[in-house]
Amino acid sequence: MSGHKEFARGNESLESIFEFTSEFFVRNRLDPRILPIVDFAVEELFTNMVKYGGADASPIAIEIACVDGAVEVALVDTGVEPFDMTQAPDVEVHGPIEERKAGGLGLHLVRRLVDSWDYRYSKELRQSRITFRKAFAKSQARAAASAEGGSNAVD
Amino acid sequence: MLSIEAAGEGTVVLAGRLDAAQSPTLQAYLDRLQGRVTLDCAKLEYISSAGLGVLLKTQKRLLPGGGKLRLTGVSRHLQDIFQYSGFDQILEIEPAP
Repeated sequence: MSGHKEFARGNESLESIFEFTSEFFVRNRLDPRILPIVDFAVEELFTNMVKYGGADASPIAIEIACVDGAVEVALVDTGVEPFDMTQAPDVEVHGPIEERKAGGLGLHLVRRLVDSWDYRYSKELRQSRITFRKAFAKSQARAAASAEGGSNAVD
Repeated sequence: MLSIEAAGEGTVVLAGRLDAAQSPTLQAYLDRLQGRVTLDCAKLEYISSAGLGVLLKTQKRLLPGGGKLRLTGVSRHLQDIFQYSGFDQILEIEPAP
């Protein structure tokens, strides 16, 4: 229950990225209610990689898998300098509208929507790898574990 | 993809996905509108931070002239996004029945 694909750097790749995640959910009969959250996190991380990656950076790889009752997604960007998005500061979301800014909202929301996220950087490969997990509801987690071979059943 | 259709009396029907690739199209459409604008979101499946940016910019432009944005038919998922971003405090949001 895993998938892997590379995508050209740019917003024009978003449609094919969403097709990739949607096909994974359909193929593995996963709970479609968490697909918008997975897509949201993927889009925000991907567009940040596009925005801050170097001009010589290669396509961005996306890996998706079912792990321990959750969907785990990794975005891998090679040929770039370190950029740990998990350390991005929260933004002010309670002030008056005049003080509100859209910048930073994406990562602020990813932090709240996913269950965990982790950043690793390989100096040797000049490669950033950011991974997040979003858990299924418990009933779906049992079904996913069963499909994996029954070794990761969740109560 | 995102579908944008005028439904009369300041109402705009959105359907599909409002992501970073589609947001410039909606921004250009909303930039032409004045006054009270209702966005029918009953068929809007998805919004990212780029879409939130469009709503914020539009609301900031409309308010000084006495206008504002109103969102109707907002799904549970979109309500969560608006809540976590604090947009439920700066936009008029009507949940889906």
